[in-house]
Amino acid sequence: MIKNDLGRKIMFVLLALLIIVTAIIIIVRRIDLKEEEGPRVVREVPGEIRTVTLFFANSNADGLLSETRDITSEGGLENEVKQVIAALLAGPEDKKGVSAIPVGTEINRVFRVEDKETVYLDFNRALVSNHTGGSAGEYYTIKMILKTIEVNFPQVAKVQFIVAGYPVNTIAGHYKVDTPLSVRKWR
Amino acid sequence: MDNKNISNRYKMLFAGILVVAAVFLAVHPCRAQIIAKENEEVKTLGVVFADGRKTEDISLFKIESDSDELFISAYDLARIFKATKYWKPGRKRLVVKIAAKKYIFTLDTRVVMIENQPVLLRMPVRYSDGFVMIPLEFIRDILAKSRVEKVDFDEKRLVLTIGAPSYNVTGIIFDESIEGTRAVLTLTDELLYHVDNEIPGLLRLKIYGGKLNTLKISATEGKGLFKRVRAEQTEYDSYLFFEVEQSASSFRVEFMGPADEDSGGRKLVIFLEKGELPEIPDADFAGRKMVEILQASAGEYRKIEVKRIIIDPGHGGPDYGRISESGVEEKQVNLEISEMLKRMLIERLGVEVVLTRRTDKLVPLDQRGEIANVQNGDIFISIHCNGWFKPEAGGFETFFLAPARNEEESHQAAHENSSIRFENPGLDPEKLDELNFILWDMVQNEFINESSKLAELIQKSLDDRVSIRNRGVRQAGFRVLRGLKMPAVLVEVAFLSNPREEKLLLDNRFRKKVCEGIVEAVRRFREKDMIVEGR
Ligand SMILES: [Zn+2]
Repeated sequence: MIKNDLGRKIMFVLLALLIIVTAIIIIVRRIDLKEEEGPRVVREVPGEIRTVTLFFANSNADGLLSETRDITSEGGLENEVKQVIAALLAGPEDKKGVSAIPVGTEINRVFRVEDKETVYLDFNRALVSNHTGGSAGEYYTIKMILKTIEVNFPQVAKVQFIVAGYPVNTIAGHYKVDTPLSVRKWR
Repeated sequence: MDNKNISNRYKMLFAGILVVAAVFLAVHPCRAQIIAKENEEVKTLGVVFADGRKTEDISLFKIESDSDELFISAYDLARIFKATKYWKPGRKRLVVKIAAKKYIFTLDTRVVMIENQPVLLRMPVRYSDGFVMIPLEFIRDILAKSRVEKVDFDEKRLVLTIGAPSYNVTGIIFDESIEGTRAVLTLTDELLYHVDNEIPGLLRLKIYGGKLNTLKISATEGKGLFKRVRAEQTEYDSYLFFEVEQSASSFRVEFMGPADEDSGGRKLVIFLEKGELPEIPDADFAGRKMVEILQASAGEYRKIEVKRIIIDPGHGGPDYGRISESGVEEKQVNLEISEMLKRMLIERLGVEVVLTRRTDKLVPLDQRGEIANVQNGDIFISIHCNGWFKPEAGGFETFFLAPARNEEESHQAAHENSSIRFENPGLDPEKLDELNFILWDMVQNEFINESSKLAELIQKSLDDRVSIRNRGVRQAGFRVLRGLKMPAVLVEVAFLSNPREEKLLLDNRFRKKVCEGIVEAVRRFREKDMIVEGR
């Protein structure tokens, strides 16, 4: 009887181990599969489509990550810029990407005045009022937008931030944004 | 007994089934089912983008059974070239516009219309599994040879480089003479740099705001006293690591002449001299063998007497700065650390200290600079806590000013503005503002070498004392650092958005370490400990 009891205990331990191992293997494979999902299957669709590159920050706040999106190519530069900014505001698809643009931020208007090299981006107040602060946060709010404009619109040299129709001094108290910023040189 | 045996047998059977199931799951090739595809992916094309997008691997396919020609999907083609594409399914036509040039492909034909001129491919364009597939020869023979877009195609290694790079550190050569070896870097602008040799036999050159082709620089073979060079690029700066011979006795780094007459760029020269390696008795180096640094950085350091220090507690009043999850306000932490730093500077260094705000009130950024200048400060230190959108970011960093324009542009703009002033005595207020802005910017330019030095000393000194991540010294366009007539830095002590660091920021022991670090850095800065120093 004692021997049998021991045998039963060993059996239970073995069984428990097996179940755990199996569960681990299944979970690991699931994770594996999620990470290795194949390329985005996008069929050719009718219409004039432009593929653009968006820049988001990484989670450590020390670099940018890029993602691509398709926009409709129409309505001139202003319209394309507006679509690109709207796509940027919608946030990253990749889990590694971080949007440094405050929640609730919307783009109202995109326009140029006589100086065609400068694009004016008119956001709603959330850009400033919802900003959680911190100089790293503020740096990447500006950098994500400038880098995305630089890469997709080589004809644009400068960006002027506008909030609810008016220029502002600063977004979160560290960087000055009251004059147009150079998309290539700003840091 | 029999019953027990039977139940044991069942258990054995069950265990057996489990083992088989586990093995089956582990080995089963699920992946192939998920990426089920008609097209057979045979090779990958490595794509390098000069515009900062991360390098990608693009699938290439073999479609024709009687040819080895590789095909790329029009989707990938348009994406990597940031092209505009227009698909006309009825007419089986795909229009792709790359850098304002139009290419028209027609399915199952070999003709590509380039700006209305027909060009014949060897293989026809195909439609397969939902994708328009374009023979790779289009990239190899048409795009890479046209001058519209800068495209470099390495057929052997299947590497495609797209775009004209905007490097400002463009090349390196080594040359040797009897006295030693020179490494000559070509730069498009006169960028700030920092040299150290903390690790014996290794010189580390950091170029602030540098952009370089790491592959090209690292592939350059060393010569003479330079054994090897390796380049690294971060989001903000470039680094060059030189492995040097033990027989190198000293080095100096300086800017020399224009890189070439037309471009107006600059040459940055690192000169290594031969000789016996000296033993440095300096206690700071703990007996380590060091290559003596004759001149740590370019530019003359003027003698700066440090008698009065301006401390700037960031934010205040309605500007809270960062607010942590649990409600800790950056403005308050900044003020408390600044007050502790003030007491410590007075006690340990016997200097005078002026705070730009002593209470919880709003002081505009420009006014802080004015206070510092009017008070005749010798050093300006702004104290902040950082914040990020995710809790994982952390660490301390020290900043000095990156002027909004480069020097040449500022000079030119200042010149233009001064003529405006002479021509129009009744100044347009908008233009006056622009003039102010430029001059304001140029004031700090004069102190930029000292500011970078102070920043490096603070960062090093904090690194010796605190155990959070060292994020390094960076150059950035902080408003509060502009217009200061003294060496000026901004310290981001730690992240309020990081729960661990939030606790540290509220902990007096941590604050004390930070303040001691800054005091020690100021002491070294004051003692002109700048010529021989480790970092
Ligand atoms: Zn701050």
